[in-house]
Amino acid sequence: MSDVGAAMGKVVARSAAPPMRARRPMLGRYTGQAFAIVTLSAGLFGLVWLYGSALRDPRYLDGWILAGGMILQLGFHIAVKSGGLSPKSAVRWRKVHVLLGYLLIAAFASHCDLSLPETALEWMLWTGFVLVTLSGVLGAYLAWSVKVRGIVDERTAFERIPEQRAELARKLQTLVTRADPASAALGLPVPPHDAWIMDLYTTHLRDFFAGQRNVSAHLVRSQGPLKQLTGEIEDLARYVDPQSKDKLTAIRELVVEKDRLDFACVQQSLTRGLFFVHVPVTYALIVLSILHVVVAYAYASGVW
Amino acid sequence: MLKLRRDTAAQLLALVTLLGVAMAFYFSAGTRFLMPGPMTSAHGGIEACSACHTKSGTGKLGWVHGLVAGDPRADSKACLTCHKMPDTAFNAHGASADRLQESTIRLTKIAAGRALPPSARAQSVAFPMQDVVSGGLFCATCHQEHQGGKFDLKRISDEQCRSCHVVKFDSFDGSHPNFDTYPFKTRTPIIYDHAGHFGKHYPEIAKKEPDKRIPETCASCHDSRADKRVMSVMPFEQVCAGCHLDQITGKTRASGPKGVAFLSLPGLDLETLAKKKAPLGEWPDSDAALTPFMKVMIGRNDKGRALMASVANVNLQDLSTASDDQIKTVTDLAWEIKRLVHALISGKASDVLADLNIATGAKLSPSLVADLTASLPRDVILGAQQEWLPNLAQEITGGPISPAAAAAKAQSNQSPPVADEPPPPEAQQSDAVSEPVATDTEAEPEGDGKVAANKVKLDPPTCVLRVLGACVMFKDPNATVPPPDSANDTAGAADNTESGPVPSTARTLSEPMRAGLGDVVPAASPERTEKVSDKKDDLLFPTDEERRELTERRKAAGSTARPALGTAGGGAVSATEGSPVDGGAPMIAIDSGVDPESWAEYGGWYRQDFAISYRPIGHKDKFLYSWLFLTGPQAPKGSTSPAAAVFDVLTSKDAQGACTKCHSVDDIAGKGRAVNFSQPSAQSKKGRFTNFIHEPHLGMTDERGCLTCHSLEKGQPYLKSYEQGDARTFVPAFGAIKKDVCQTCHTSSKARQDCLLCHKYHIDGAVTPVMSTKLRAP
Repeated sequence: MSDVGAAMGKVVARSAAPPMRARRPMLGRYTGQAFAIVTLSAGLFGLVWLYGSALRDPRYLDGWILAGGMILQLGFHIAVKSGGLSPKSAVRWRKVHVLLGYLLIAAFASHCDLSLPETALEWMLWTGFVLVTLSGVLGAYLAWSVKVRGIVDERTAFERIPEQRAELARKLQTLVTRADPASAALGLPVPPHDAWIMDLYTTHLRDFFAGQRNVSAHLVRSQGPLKQLTGEIEDLARYVDPQSKDKLTAIRELVVEKDRLDFACVQQSLTRGLFFVHVPVTYALIVLSILHVVVAYAYASGVW
Repeated sequence: MLKLRRDTAAQLLALVTLLGVAMAFYFSAGTRFLMPGPMTSAHGGIEACSACHTKSGTGKLGWVHGLVAGDPRADSKACLTCHKMPDTAFNAHGASADRLQESTIRLTKIAAGRALPPSARAQSVAFPMQDVVSGGLFCATCHQEHQGGKFDLKRISDEQCRSCHVVKFDSFDGSHPNFDTYPFKTRTPIIYDHAGHFGKHYPEIAKKEPDKRIPETCASCHDSRADKRVMSVMPFEQVCAGCHLDQITGKTRASGPKGVAFLSLPGLDLETLAKKKAPLGEWPDSDAALTPFMKVMIGRNDKGRALMASVANVNLQDLSTASDDQIKTVTDLAWEIKRLVHALISGKASDVLADLNIATGAKLSPSLVADLTASLPRDVILGAQQEWLPNLAQEITGGPISPAAAAAKAQSNQSPPVADEPPPPEAQQSDAVSEPVATDTEAEPEGDGKVAANKVKLDPPTCVLRVLGACVMFKDPNATVPPPDSANDTAGAADNTESGPVPSTARTLSEPMRAGLGDVVPAASPERTEKVSDKKDDLLFPTDEERRELTERRKAAGSTARPALGTAGGGAVSATEGSPVDGGAPMIAIDSGVDPESWAEYGGWYRQDFAISYRPIGHKDKFLYSWLFLTGPQAPKGSTSPAAAVFDVLTSKDAQGACTKCHSVDDIAGKGRAVNFSQPSAQSKKGRFTNFIHEPHLGMTDERGCLTCHSLEKGQPYLKSYEQGDARTFVPAFGAIKKDVCQTCHTSSKARQDCLLCHKYHIDGAVTPVMSTKLRAP
């Protein structure tokens, strides 16, 4: 029992949900950020309106705001790639990156005059920006939601998930195959509890722990498969002795941890996939944007 | 590993994008691929970018030239290729700098102490306008293209309008300034005293002539059908002619000649000229003055202008103190007049008038010459020449004839020429002189003069067939000519003979008005010169003072002199010593008993005494119009030029035709004067900042009708303001429109109230010229 408890203690502690006290400041912080984004966006629209009212072409103002923002975002990317930021700075700058991204949505909407483009080059620019923005927003949302729910902490490195998954499988196998020494000492016929647990292992758990499972359920954040599996474990727990019950409890915690790893793997894969869109399209967008600026000034009417 | 792949993909995608754009650009036709958006429908047909983006060169990469700084106005100038605008197009509102300054000064006073709306204050601080407007306002400042086919290129917000303006307000129903003197910026071109007509003339006419049509409502005279912006006045013939037509034709003229003396033979001091042995040749004893029209015609060349300048200060009818040089100058003038008369007969009027050195010096068109002479018949001049200067042809070719020769010639002319006889020598030189012409009905002189006249000038045979103005068949000279009824004219001639020099009444007329008159009751005596403030809009109804004066004049004329209507005025050359004698009038075939002026009751040419006069035929008389139009620019106020003399004669208070009784005269800075013949129209409203259309408002008035907005101001010195030439200095007949009137509907909750509803930016508009199309040679 104590071994089981010692073996599983680390897992239990990691899977514990964050306390409510910690969530409230986080929500407050996010609300504040959202308010700041909305306020700054409104201010940007007001500034552009004021600029246009002063007989200037507002497309130049919001265009340069957009271009300036994109240059800053690109600078962040270069800094990250070149390793010029410390991990702490990187985290801080990532927040700025996300916040600035939201503001650039307002600048882009203003630059497009809230309308769809009408020419091929503009469509390319528009599509590029929308892809970059959507991938960025979705990635940020995924990171935010996972973090808020406390399902995956930052220490769950994507590269270490397979290793952790294999470790859990080994622990499960050890747990299932270990016989109860107390029962053997009694000299009585051995109850079939271990056989039942072994059966559970062979029919359900072994395959579950063999690799990534329930991808689609994790994409939609469904916990159905997990509940189904833990339900099987709890059903069996009603018919076993206390020792076996402890074993099943430990198995259940391993199952939950395995499911958490699967979920983290899916989410992080998704995030990385979005980055695979976000970054390359950003490169293409930069090329198009430079062309756009050159053309805009080549055909400028000389007024501004 | 993943990051590496991602970075590789990113670089690859950037490269593909670059190549893709380059290929798309390479394979696309032209550079429209780069176009940021479709153009508005009106500009959709423009294919070449360089049509508007002037910095763009030719070729696919030509647009890169646009990155080099060039003339910032160039693109906007390209707009003006199709949208023609004045040189001030890039000034705010396209107005002149002076006008903008004037407006700014006025508006700055209004703006003083007014609170700025918060948004206007923020805009002024964040984005001041000086740098935008200092270099001029270009087309793209407000008209931004490439925003789609249905984009309203003319859309501009109130805030954009406000950004430049000194007076900044939130809305019309908010703190828009009250109207100042709207809509009256200048006086109306037509002088019409509404208050005087409503309060005096109409009631009087209704009383005297109940059957006469009197306007009942504003719509009786005004309508907006032709021009929805302006309540234009209906044609003269519909609304004014009933009372005013006779003033134009002179029927109701109480005094003075009813026609404008055009050509005259001025009276000269023949006695002094004879004493000084001036080679004058034949010249009748006229007492007429030189008409301003003749001054213009004589001064059509340098020599003539010098001549006119020389005689400007010479009293032609009293040369007793004249120097020899002045005598010579007067003699030259006489010969210049003879040559003018000769030229008008032997050539075409257009040959003489085409050289008139008035207006811009450009050659006058035939139609204008026709208007300037009102198609003056050659026969009228010919008849005058036959009577005034019967030996003109001989004198022009052979020099002045002696008085004895003139007398002999007159003797020989006793017998009318026979068609079969060979023409006299002078006739070979001038067909015009030899051509027999039926003269106007002139009265005969009496007594000895009558005999002399019969000897000197017999009526030439009547022409019965004329081709292209030349007589090809004459009436049988042996036919019986009815004896003239000399009874009426004898008295007149006697009066004229007995009266001797021009009576004082005739002398009081202004020189041009006196031209050709022996003795007429003056149209205006010094005593009658009215004070400026007494001017009335009344020719139909003379005042009591005027009536008394007329009565006195009639009495005086009955005892001393009467108008020498229908008399020849002694237009004959003396048979002895070259001095003129009475009785030179030609024999007339028919005596109608109607004086020439009355004969021309319905307008046209007539000859009276020593003048050929023109009586206006009615409204829009081309003769008067064309002379006013032509001489106005050369007639600044106070000028003594011949052109100014013509203009002054035709615009004087008692001028025949009375054009300027209703048509105001404006001083045009540096361009003389102009008579406003055109009534207001949308075209004439160009240059105004405010744009009001009457039509939609006509149904919105209350029971007061037009007076809902236009309050009639009685007792205002409306007419007085027309006595000077500045159209901007005036007293309107109606009160200014008040903002409250407009605000009854134009509020945020009712009708539109944006700036562009009432104001227009391009005050002079834009004109799209017809593109030049070269026609192929056949």
